Amino acid sequence: MFILSFLARRLAQGALIVFLVSLLIFTLLRVVPGDPVRLMAGGMAPEALIEQIATEMGLRDPILVQFGRYMGGVIQGDLGQSFVRPASGASTGGASFSDSTRGERAEVLTLIGDTLPMTLQLAALSIVFALIISFVIGVPGGLAPGRWPDRVAFYLSSIFISLPNFWLGIVLALLFSVKLGWLPAIGYHGFAYTILPALVLAVELSPVLIRTLTSSLATIMTESFVAVGAVRGLGRARIVFAHALRNASVPLLNILGIQISGLLGGVLVVEFIFDYPGLGLLTITAVLQRDFPLIQGIAIVTSAIFVFINIAVDLAATLIDPRLEY
Amino acid sequence: MTEAKPVLSVRDLTVDLVLGDGPAAARRPLIEAISFDLKPREILGIIGASGSGKTVLSRALVNWIEPPLAIAGGSVTYKDRNILTLPRGEMRALRREIAYVGANPQGALDPTLPVGRQIVEKLRAVAPEIDRKEAEERAIALLDAVRIPSARSRFHEYPSQFSGGMMQRALIVDALVSNPAFLVADNVTQPLDVTVAAQVLRLMRELTVRFDTAVVFVSSSLPTVAEVADTVLVLEGGRVVERQATKSLVSAPTHAYTRELIGQIPQLWTDTSAPAATAEDAEPVFSIRDATRSYKVRKRGTFAAMSTVRAVRNVTFDVFPGENFGVVGESGCGKSTLMRLLSRLELPDSGVVLADGKDVAKLSGKELMQFRKNFQLVLQDPFSSLPPRTAIGAILEEPLRTHGERNGKAIRERVLTVMHEVGLPASLYDELPLGLSAGQRQRVNVARAMVLAPKVLIMDETLSSLDQTEQFKLLKIFEDLQALHGLTYVFISHDLAMVRRVCNRVAVMYLGEVVEIAGNERLFFDPGHPYSRALLSAVPTLEARRYKPEDCLLEGEPPSPIDLPPGCSFASRCPNVFDRCRVESPALTVRGRSDFAACHLVDPHGETARELVEEPA
Amino acid sequence: MTSIDTTLAPAAPALRTASLSRRIWKQAFASFEFRLGLGVFLVLALAAAFYPEISGIDPTKMVVRDRLLPPMFFGDNWTIAHPLGTDQIGRDMLVRSLVGLRYSFLIGVSTVAVMLVIGCALGMLAGYYGGKVDAVIMRLTDAQLSIPMIILAISVLGVSRPTIPAIILVLGLSSWPTYARVTRSVVMTERKREYVRAAQVMGASNLRIMLRLLAPLILPPIIFVSVLDVARMMIFESILGFIGLGVQPPTPTFGNIIADGRKYLLNAWWIATLPGVFLGLTLTSINLMGATLERARNRVYGGVS
Repeated sequence: MFILSFLARRLAQGALIVFLVSLLIFTLLRVVPGDPVRLMAGGMAPEALIEQIATEMGLRDPILVQFGRYMGGVIQGDLGQSFVRPASGASTGGASFSDSTRGERAEVLTLIGDTLPMTLQLAALSIVFALIISFVIGVPGGLAPGRWPDRVAFYLSSIFISLPNFWLGIVLALLFSVKLGWLPAIGYHGFAYTILPALVLAVELSPVLIRTLTSSLATIMTESFVAVGAVRGLGRARIVFAHALRNASVPLLNILGIQISGLLGGVLVVEFIFDYPGLGLLTITAVLQRDFPLIQGIAIVTSAIFVFINIAVDLAATLIDPRLEY
Repeated sequence: MTEAKPVLSVRDLTVDLVLGDGPAAARRPLIEAISFDLKPREILGIIGASGSGKTVLSRALVNWIEPPLAIAGGSVTYKDRNILTLPRGEMRALRREIAYVGANPQGALDPTLPVGRQIVEKLRAVAPEIDRKEAEERAIALLDAVRIPSARSRFHEYPSQFSGGMMQRALIVDALVSNPAFLVADNVTQPLDVTVAAQVLRLMRELTVRFDTAVVFVSSSLPTVAEVADTVLVLEGGRVVERQATKSLVSAPTHAYTRELIGQIPQLWTDTSAPAATAEDAEPVFSIRDATRSYKVRKRGTFAAMSTVRAVRNVTFDVFPGENFGVVGESGCGKSTLMRLLSRLELPDSGVVLADGKDVAKLSGKELMQFRKNFQLVLQDPFSSLPPRTAIGAILEEPLRTHGERNGKAIRERVLTVMHEVGLPASLYDELPLGLSAGQRQRVNVARAMVLAPKVLIMDETLSSLDQTEQFKLLKIFEDLQALHGLTYVFISHDLAMVRRVCNRVAVMYLGEVVEIAGNERLFFDPGHPYSRALLSAVPTLEARRYKPEDCLLEGEPPSPIDLPPGCSFASRCPNVFDRCRVESPALTVRGRSDFAACHLVDPHGETARELVEEPA
Repeated sequence: MTSIDTTLAPAAPALRTASLSRRIWKQAFASFEFRLGLGVFLVLALAAAFYPEISGIDPTKMVVRDRLLPPMFFGDNWTIAHPLGTDQIGRDMLVRSLVGLRYSFLIGVSTVAVMLVIGCALGMLAGYYGGKVDAVIMRLTDAQLSIPMIILAISVLGVSRPTIPAIILVLGLSSWPTYARVTRSVVMTERKREYVRAAQVMGASNLRIMLRLLAPLILPPIIFVSVLDVARMMIFESILGFIGLGVQPPTPTFGNIIADGRKYLLNAWWIATLPGVFLGLTLTSINLMGATLERARNRVYGGVS
C-alpha cells in the first residue's frame, strides 16, 4: 500500500519533470539562432524553397503551437521523425537534399530504441566497476579516518576527479588496445568492446562515491549505536558490515542517483571517442546535424530514465532506512 | 554462614584522560582509586554531579574505555577474573553476563533495522546455541514483561517508531535477554518525562527481583537513586566520598558534599517559602483567549491525505505584570507551540493573543517592533540557539542594531552592562560560543534577550539542560534582574520543582489543553486535576510524597495528538476515570476564587475538589 | 570592567573576522596535501601568465621545419626549445597548453561565479520561504538536473555559435541546480535553528536574516565546494573543445589540441596525451586545495572530517 502510493506520487512528479524538460529543450532549440532547414536543404537551396519546407514542417508556427503539437504526439508515444536521417540508415543532408516526404525519415523512437540498450549496458557495467572501486578504496578509508587508508582514498579520489574522460579514453585505448592489445577499443563487435569505455566512466564516477562512502562511514562509526553495539556483545565485523555499511549505503545510493545524469553526460563523450554505437554518439551527431526532433527525443528519454532511476534509488533507500519518507 | 560472594569487585580503579601521544602525553585522572563490591541481587546506586566521573565509572565496569580514556590502574573482578585485562574475544563472550543500558535510548540501536531483530541479533551473538525461533520467542516474552503493549507486533517495528520511554524499555529487554549476572544502568531515566521515568524505575525494581540480577544504577539525581537503590555511593571529583545504605544516607549524610547535594534537592511540600499568587487586579500583560493551533501533516503511506495535529487547543489564561507564570507539562503537550504563539512566531488558527491589550496578529511596522522589544524569548537549547560562527559580543549587539541603534560605542556599553548583569566576563566579548559551557551559553541567551530591556521574558525550558548548581545560579540572576527591571517571566518547563520555587501561578498542560490553572500553593497541596496529581506523584524527591505513583499513575503513555479520542484526553491514563469522561470533554471549571481545573470531578460550588485519591473507590 | 572595555575595543572586529577564516586556512595550510596542490598550482599559474610572452613563441604559428618534434628525453631529435615537443604543423605544445590553460581557467572561474550567484540566490529563497516558492524552484532544479548538463550545453552551443561568453553562460546556466539544492538544504536546516527564531523575535526582517545571519554562515562552505567546481567546469570546457563546440580554433584550448592530436596518436602520441597530463595536473592541484579546504572547514566547524 505504502509502495503504491509512493509510486503514484513520484510518477506524477516525474511526469511533471519530463514535461518541464521537454518545454525547456524545445524552447531553447527554437530560441537560439541557427536554422535547421538551412542545414537540411544545404547552402545552395533557394530562400523560397527553405521557407516552403519550413512552413510545411510547421517550423514557422508560434513556438507554443509547435510545442503543443509535439507534446500531443509524445503522449501517444510518437516522438516524431528525424529531420535528417532516412529510415534506411545513413544520414542525409547537405547538398544532396531532395524533397523527400516525411514518411521516409527515420522514427526518433526507433533510432533511440536501437541505441539505448547499448548505452544501458555500458552504464550498468560502469556502475558495477565504480562501486567495486569505491568500496575497495572507500571502506578502509572510512574505517580509519585520518590514517593512511583515508589519505589513499583522498589522493586517489582527487586524481580520479581530475582526469578528463576523453583524455583518459584516448590514453587507455592507446595503452590497452594499441600497445598491449589486451582489449578492443573502437566500434562494437561484442561485449569486450564495452569494458574499456566502462572503465573510463567508472573512473569518472568513482571519486564522488569514494568521498561519500568514506565520510558517511566515518560519521556512522562515531554514532553511539556502533560503540554500544560492541558493549552489547556484537563483533566488530558484524557492526561494520551488518550495521555501519547498511547505514552508509543510504547517502551512497542518493549520490549515485544524482550522479546518473553526470554519467549519461560522460557516456556521450566516451561513446564519441570509442565510436560506441549508443545513445551518446547519436546525441552528438544529432546536435552537429541540428536534428531537433532527435535532440528533443533524447532529452525526454534521458530525463525519463533519470526520473525512473531516482524513484528506484529512493525506494531502495526507504527499504534500507524506514525513517526516510518520500 | 558468611556473607555471599560479591558478583563484582572493584579495587583501586583509576581511569585517566590522555591527551597527546606517546610518553609526552598529558594524563589527568577522571576517576581515582575506586573500590566497592556488588552483592548478588543488590541495587547499588551511584550518584554524582555532571563531571564527577560517574559515566566513566559505569563504562569502566563493563570494560568500555576507549581513547582518549585509558585504564591507569586497578581491577574490576568478575568471576575471579579482571575483565579489564581480558582479550577482546573472551570479553565478548562475557557480554552475555554483563549488560549495560545507557542514557541515550534513541541512539543505542541501528535505526535501519527493527528493534526485535536487533535484540535477537544480540542474543545470538552472545549465546550462539540459542536458535532464532527460540530467541524471538524469548525477546517477545520479555517485551511483554516490560509492558510494551502488543509486543508481538512491536517486535517488528523500527527504533524511530518507539517513544523514548518505550525504547528505554526495549533496551532493558535487550540487556536482560541474555540473563546477565549484573546490569549497569547509566542515567537511564534522564531523557524521559517524569511520569514515564517513574514507570521505568518501578519496572527496574521489579525486574531485578524477577531475574535475580544485580544492578549498578548510576544517576545524577539523588531522589531517583534513592527510589531504587539499596546502597548509595556518592562520587565527587572522581572519588568515592561516601557509601551508605540509602535510608541512612538521606537521613544522616556524613560527608559535606553529600549534605550539599541533599540540600540542593528542591522540596515541593516541606519548603514553605513559595511565592504567593499575585493580585489579579492589574491589567494583564499577556492574555491568551481560546487559542487553537493545528498543524497539517501528511499521513504516512498515503497519496495526499493529511491529518491534523492539534498542538494547542482552546487555551485561555492571563499573565499579570511582575508575576512569574509557569506553564508545565511533559513533552508533546503543546508547550513549545504555546511559546511560538506567545512570541508571535506563529499565529493561532482561532482565538487571540493579546499583548498589552493589543491583538498580536494585527501588529505591524513600528508597533510590531515595539512588541518585539518588550516581549523577548529565551530558548531551550543552549547549543543551537547561538549562531556558531559569530562572536558573543556581535551576537549581543545584533538585537540593538536590528532595532535601529547605530552608535557603536553606546551599543558596546549596553552589551557589556548586560553581560555583567548576567554574570558573563567582559573578556568573552570577542570569543566564539564554541568553547562555552551550557550554563554560559544560556547566559548569553538571556543577555541577548535582556539587551533590549524588555518587559516580559518568555523562558522556554531555559534551565532544563543545566545541572542543579547552574540552575540555582541562573535563577538567582533572574531574581536580581526582576528586582532591578521589574520584569515579568513566563516559565515554560517540565520541571515541577523549579516551578514550585519561582512561579506565582502555574498552568498545567496535557495534550494541547490547559487542564489546570492554580496558584503555586494550591497546585502543590490541592491539585484539582488527576493529571496534576500524577505529575506530582512522579516528581523525584526525597520527601514523603503527598501523592503516591501507585495511586495516581497508570501505565501507558499519552495518546498521539493526531488521533485524539473523544472525551477527556487524560481518560486513558486516569485512575479516576468513569463513563462520562470517555464521551464528554470537561471544560475548565472555577475552583474557588481564581483557580481552574478541567475535570468532571471538580465541584464548581465547593472550595475543593472531592479528594477521590484518598478514599478507595 | 570599564578599563577592560577600552583596551579591547579596537581589536574586536579584526579578531572576529580573522579568527574563523584564518583558522580554516591555517588548518588547510598545515596539511601537506594543500601545500602540494598550492605549489603545483602556483608554478602552473605563473607559467601560464608569463611564459608565452617571455618565450616569444606564437602558439598559432606554423613552423613546418620543426613539425612533430618529440618532447624532452623522448626519441632522438628533441630540443630544449620545445620541452613538450611540437604538433603536426610545428606549433610548440608547451605554449599551446599554457595558453589553453589561461582560457580554461578563465572560463572555469567565470562559470562558477555565474552558477554561484544564480544557484545560491534561488536556493536561499526556496529554503527560506518553503511552501510554494520552494516547490516551484525545486521542480525547476529537478527538471534541469534530470537532463545531463552536457547534452543541454552542446545542444545550445551546437545550434548557435560557441563564443566565450556563450560558453560561460551556457555552462553556468546548466549547472546552477546543484548549488540551489545545497543552499536550500543548508538554509532549511539552519532556518529551523533557534538562533533564527531568536532573530525573528528580536524583530529582524526576513531579508536581514537571509543576508546578515544566514548568508555569512552558508556562503563559506559553498565557496569551498565551488573551488572543486572550478576544476569540474574546466573539464567541461575541455570536453566542449574536444567535440568542437568550445572556443574555436585557431585559439588553442586543451579540448581542441587533444582532438587534433588524436589523429596523429600512432606516430606522435605526445600531441594528444601531454596536454591532458598538463590539464590533469592543474586540476589535481585545484582539487587537492579544494578538498583540503573542505575538510579543514568541516573540522573547524566541528564535524567529522
